[in-house]
Amino acid sequence: MKSSLITLVVLVILTILSAVVSNYVTNYATTIILILAGLKFIGITYFFMDLIKAHIFWRIIIAAFVFVILTIILVIY
Amino acid sequence: MKTTTIINYKNIYYPPGGILIWIVIFLELITFGMALIAMVYSSKGEPEVFHNSRLLLNSTIGAVNTLFLLVSGFFMAQSVRFFKQQAISKASVCLKLTVLGGLLFLALKGFEYYDKIEMGYSIGYNNFFSFYWMLTLFHVIHVLVGIVILLIMYLDIRKKGAEASLENIEASAAFWHMCDIIWILLFPVIYLIF
Repeated sequence: MKSSLITLVVLVILTILSAVVSNYVTNYATTIILILAGLKFIGITYFFMDLIKAHIFWRIIIAAFVFVILTIILVIY
Repeated sequence: MKTTTIINYKNIYYPPGGILIWIVIFLELITFGMALIAMVYSSKGEPEVFHNSRLLLNSTIGAVNTLFLLVSGFFMAQSVRFFKQQAISKASVCLKLTVLGGLLFLALKGFEYYDKIEMGYSIGYNNFFSFYWMLTLFHVIHVLVGIVILLIMYLDIRKKGAEASLENIEASAAFWHMCDIIWILLFPVIYLIF
């Protein structure tokens, strides 16, 4: 319960931070927003979906997926 | 007497929810990921159109919807945990709160869609709105399917109590969290970066 609650609070803070960055930060805003999205993605998959308890294969493949997708978006952008 | 169900998640063939739902999750993530990449690639040809169209969206609505899904995901995780501890009534309450989060998401999305249609920003308005409608509607369909699955699980838990299948509940939870993580990718790209 406690770890899930901490995860939720962190995810909410990261969401608010994304909105603040998009409105007030001009330099590197896209990079920061996408990094925050990646962190939220990892937070949900590892702690809400309990992937933290899963075999390392699943932890690596999900982190690799989000890293590749967000990197491609950032490179094209 | 309360007992705790223990599953060996370290088995490579049994990630939380089971391997089949994770194959579905990866296929969905790849589909949405490719679509987002296509959207960003498309924006290179008409950056001003994408920027001006993005400004027509209400990012506060997008952020509030993100919060609805995050809180809903929290209650989903709690529901699974309570079910494993055989605290069935708590698991049911959390499941209902999860569905409520999904319904609030859909209600706000419905309001946003109504607003966009009223202003004439339909799917054919420009390239940005084509991507906006296709991606968000596809996601909304997943949320609707997720709510139906959760309601079936809720009825199953009410009927069978602790005898309900943990595998089914975990797989349903994984599907619901998938809706959450897809939105986490959609929100910044559609509402914030252009």
